[in-house]
Amino acid sequence: MKGRTLSKVLCYIILAVILLFLLFPIYWMLATSFKTNMEAYMYPPTFFPNETTVDAYISLFTVNNQFFVYYINNFIVSGITAIICTLFAVFTGYALARFHFKWTVIMSGILLSTQMFPIVSRMISLYSLMSKVHLINTMPGLILAISAAQLPFCAMLMSSFFASVPKELEEAAYVDGAGRGTILFKIITPLVKPGMLAVGIYAFLMTWDDYLHAATLIQTDGLRTLSIGIALRYLGELS
Amino acid sequence: MRKLNSKNRGDRIYSFCLLIPAFLLALFFILIPIVDSVIKSFQDFKVKNIISGKPGVWNNFANYIKLFASNALGNAVVNTFVFVVFVIVFQFVLGMALALVLNSNIKGARFFRSIMMTPWVVPTVISALIWMWLFQPQYGLVKYLVSLVTFGKVTEFAMLNQPDSALTGVGIAALWKQIPLMTLLLLAGLQNVPDDIQEAAMIDGASKTRRFFSITMPYMASVIKIAVSMSIIENFKQFPLFWTMTGGGPDGATTNLAILSYREAFVSMNLGSGAAVTTIWMLLMIITVGIYNKCFRTYDMT
Repeated sequence: MKGRTLSKVLCYIILAVILLFLLFPIYWMLATSFKTNMEAYMYPPTFFPNETTVDAYISLFTVNNQFFVYYINNFIVSGITAIICTLFAVFTGYALARFHFKWTVIMSGILLSTQMFPIVSRMISLYSLMSKVHLINTMPGLILAISAAQLPFCAMLMSSFFASVPKELEEAAYVDGAGRGTILFKIITPLVKPGMLAVGIYAFLMTWDDYLHAATLIQTDGLRTLSIGIALRYLGELS
Repeated sequence: MRKLNSKNRGDRIYSFCLLIPAFLLALFFILIPIVDSVIKSFQDFKVKNIISGKPGVWNNFANYIKLFASNALGNAVVNTFVFVVFVIVFQFVLGMALALVLNSNIKGARFFRSIMMTPWVVPTVISALIWMWLFQPQYGLVKYLVSLVTFGKVTEFAMLNQPDSALTGVGIAALWKQIPLMTLLLLAGLQNVPDDIQEAAMIDGASKTRRFFSITMPYMASVIKIAVSMSIIENFKQFPLFWTMTGGGPDGATTNLAILSYREAFVSMNLGSGAAVTTIWMLLMIITVGIYNKCFRTYDMT
């Protein structure tokens, strides 16, 4: 009995230490955002803001409002990428899960191997290839390049959702005279809605987080996404 | 019979058409660029070639010779591997500990499970900034804590500005960002471990550690394999954390292959030389993942 209480205490200690590590930086970010400028740069640092102000937020809305351009750009890029990825992942995932021909095997091989290629390697040649076709420094170019990077994982995830839908359902619909399009869009797709949501969220979050694509393919300030904008404006203050 | 045949032919055409969009996207934005970058690695190709539209010229492996002659490449390879091993070992141990605690029926497990995911949704650049803020050499919290713990003996502590601790600093930020996902995947795996076998082993008198290594781990083998290989690939490719936190410095102490190739290609504007780094990097990655898969196969339960 004594051993059990001891292990229980140990459990809570592990939990507390790891959670402290994971959550304290978030608290620190929030606490600092409410400090006055003087207090934020003070040493030794204070754990609670001595006087709370929302000045930082006010100046974000009034003085530094170019951030909204970055926010909007990031939303547009991530949103469209998520839609493209989900749509294409439905096509590809369905084909990979249902049909077993030579090209479906080749395609899943291609999708798996693309995970191992470094992004910088693609960027080096996309930088010159895309400037030839005038896609560099444009939003459609950025969206296509990011979509291609996210699609492989999305398609494989989607195909695992399609694989769990029983094949008999489709055969029954086929016997009843439903066309292929009807079967896919009216019968099967509604069944994998949770999967589509998961894929969409994944693609959105990954694109929201993207740095390298935007850093190399975009040069105009008005087209920059949030990661680049923040890095450019705040990095100098901390290093 | 006739109808079946025509269905089969229709299936072929249909599946082919469904794959076309993804294939075209992968072809133009992944496969062609990769082949093109390997070709460029054997050429003298700089930014002026893009502006003037001149194709690159074959230069007798000059990019590779230059790379191997300087010790930048060796340094970057060592840094990459040290970083990957450091992050994966700690991530796995801490992630597993947290998953085990959350899986044992303690109070509030659901609540803790949802709040521990927060670092995962914080964008990478923001997490880099948060940790730079904490590590800041003049007014950073870590400096203060270190001076408290050492009773004022160490008053100057700048994690990211010292060559011997900078890589650890970036590693801590990477751990912070990646432990949540690792824990979530391992938790999902833990739920697949059947309770009755655990109980049977307990009745037979197997100790806690014995049960963990002989029952839990083998049942989780496939989840662990996927989670760790995802993490290997992610950390092998890690760029934004390094680029924002240290930019590869101080004195090349945190220059990994991603930073080296980016510097060569887009800072020194020598795309051919950068492509040579990424080609070597790609080979190393394929070899590492290959070895990893081979090692793990022998350990598989089935």
